[in-house]
Amino acid sequence: METRLANIWRLTVNEKKFIETALQSDLRIDGRRPFDFRNISIKFSREEGSAEVQLGQTHVMAFVTAQLTQPYKDRPNEGTLSMFTEFSPMADPSFEPGRPSEAAVELGRVIDRGLRESRAVDTESLCVLSGKSVWAVRVDLHILDNGGNLVDAANIAALAALLTFRRPECSLGGEDGQQVIVHPPEVREPLPLIIHHLPIAVTFAFFSNESTVVVDPTHYEEAVMGGRMTATLNANNDICAIQKAGGEGVLQSVIMQCLRIAGQKAYDITTKIKNAVESYNTERALRKIKRHPSSVALDISGAGVNIGKNQNKPVPQKGDSERSNLTSEKSVADQSMDIEGEAKSSEQQQTNKIDGDAKNFIGGPSSWDPYPAGVNSDFLKASLASHGITMPSRKEQDSRGENMSGEAKPVEPPEDINVSSSNIEASETVLRTNGEKTLKDAVKPKNKRKMKSSSTSGR
Amino acid sequence: MKAGKLRFSKPNKYWVESSQKRYVPHAGDSVLGIVVDSKADIGTLLYVWVVKVNPSMNPELSCTDASRKAAEFGQLKGGYMFESSTGLSRMLLSSPTCPVLDALGKKLSFETAVGLNGRIWVNASSPSTVIVVANAIMNSESLSGVQQRIMVEKLIQNLKLST
Repeated sequence: METRLANIWRLTVNEKKFIETALQSDLRIDGRRPFDFRNISIKFSREEGSAEVQLGQTHVMAFVTAQLTQPYKDRPNEGTLSMFTEFSPMADPSFEPGRPSEAAVELGRVIDRGLRESRAVDTESLCVLSGKSVWAVRVDLHILDNGGNLVDAANIAALAALLTFRRPECSLGGEDGQQVIVHPPEVREPLPLIIHHLPIAVTFAFFSNESTVVVDPTHYEEAVMGGRMTATLNANNDICAIQKAGGEGVLQSVIMQCLRIAGQKAYDITTKIKNAVESYNTERALRKIKRHPSSVALDISGAGVNIGKNQNKPVPQKGDSERSNLTSEKSVADQSMDIEGEAKSSEQQQTNKIDGDAKNFIGGPSSWDPYPAGVNSDFLKASLASHGITMPSRKEQDSRGENMSGEAKPVEPPEDINVSSSNIEASETVLRTNGEKTLKDAVKPKNKRKMKSSSTSGR
Repeated sequence: MKAGKLRFSKPNKYWVESSQKRYVPHAGDSVLGIVVDSKADIGTLLYVWVVKVNPSMNPELSCTDASRKAAEFGQLKGGYMFESSTGLSRMLLSSPTCPVLDALGKKLSFETAVGLNGRIWVNASSPSTVIVVANAIMNSESLSGVQQRIMVEKLIQNLKLST
């Protein structure tokens, strides 16, 4: 019993008086001004859809997962978004394991309301088969360290995780077109969620003397404050939610001032989140490149752009040994892509590329669909050839066959790469003589030399 | 057995100095305590002296030290208290005076009470001074002497600029 008492943090009268006195001269105990946020650091892990946010001493992690499930009866066309909070006992001596406390439930509700009521996450795009099968997105928030202002930190973590989450692509197939097939990430690139805007929560703490308001209270300030209010807005100054649960009464003018300040803070934080997500996406693209050096990038632009028109810069240097190992597969990939480019001028495909072109890679999650017109199995075979360096050819065939069932149009896959390469080479020479610049020209001459030995060459 | 730095003082004294947040009571220590259970004074901050320690019972505290009532012990009024680690407390109490207190003392006037249980109380005439002193002490645990002086100078410059 004594140890229990000893572990609970207590506030002395000295601290309470001091914090209030200091606030009268606009000073806060960590040296901030009343309307300053603490430093925000957003980190991601290798797993997609997980984010870790540090707001001063407060430490929060968010994980996003998705599952196929049945939709609600009254909303058969929409997916669902649910939020679960866990206040870990290591965050604060007053957190108990087990049932979520009132504060935990309130935090979950505030963040959930900010996302759901403002329709930030597009739930209609999560529908796979109306009335039968939709994606249920689940956000798990773990509080690791309570340094004050958990709502804001958890909100940022949830948004960052949702922005970097990728769900598997699925298509309808089977005899009657009613069967849902989920494609694993190695076969088809997973898709991001469609997020229209970012609702940012900004918390204000009110103190007992007149109109003292601070933004982003620390643990100490929260223990001393008389009341708090959380306003959730987005960068366009649209108010998504306001939460003021009990506490001291506040003048209307103070509330309006708080909302104005919250607008500015929301804009700053939105920029920070976007930058962090962008650099994470770039880094992930770079990582993918190192794994699959034979991939060649295509430009992502709006629909209807002819691939032949947008020519990429030549593929930069890669390790020589790597290249020589993968030359044969790469040439196949390039050639197939050529056919692809010629045959389907309206189709866009985004594979990953290094450095300079990585900037082109950042298509906003809300406007990017890698397979707007379906996928040609030839193309798929080529990407498999480039991706699965260690994959035996049989595995390719299996996955090709599997993709086949998901495809609307029947295309006959060649038996093995050798056969296909001869087919492709024949057509490739035809393409070459076109004089039109294709992806072939983007490939470094060294590769071409090796390929030239097996086919007639012409530039 | 706890991990820590090995210290040496001539001619033949060696000890291991560790630092953590949890304090293990020891007779003869001066600590800062908060009243948790009494008729009226819950939340009062007291500077007390540990008299006797038993492993299974609460330690016995007293407001007088070994000889008589020293003026410093007892209730602390005003000021601001914060918690840190035991190692920092020991460093602040060491002699010669630790560099951060020395550098702060040259420019500002304040008073402190350091409890070996990791709690530190600071009081000064203006809140900004208290905040600067508290933050300087909090940041100084892992810094060397020279770094501490540099940090203190920077903080004081910021203070002068803002006032």
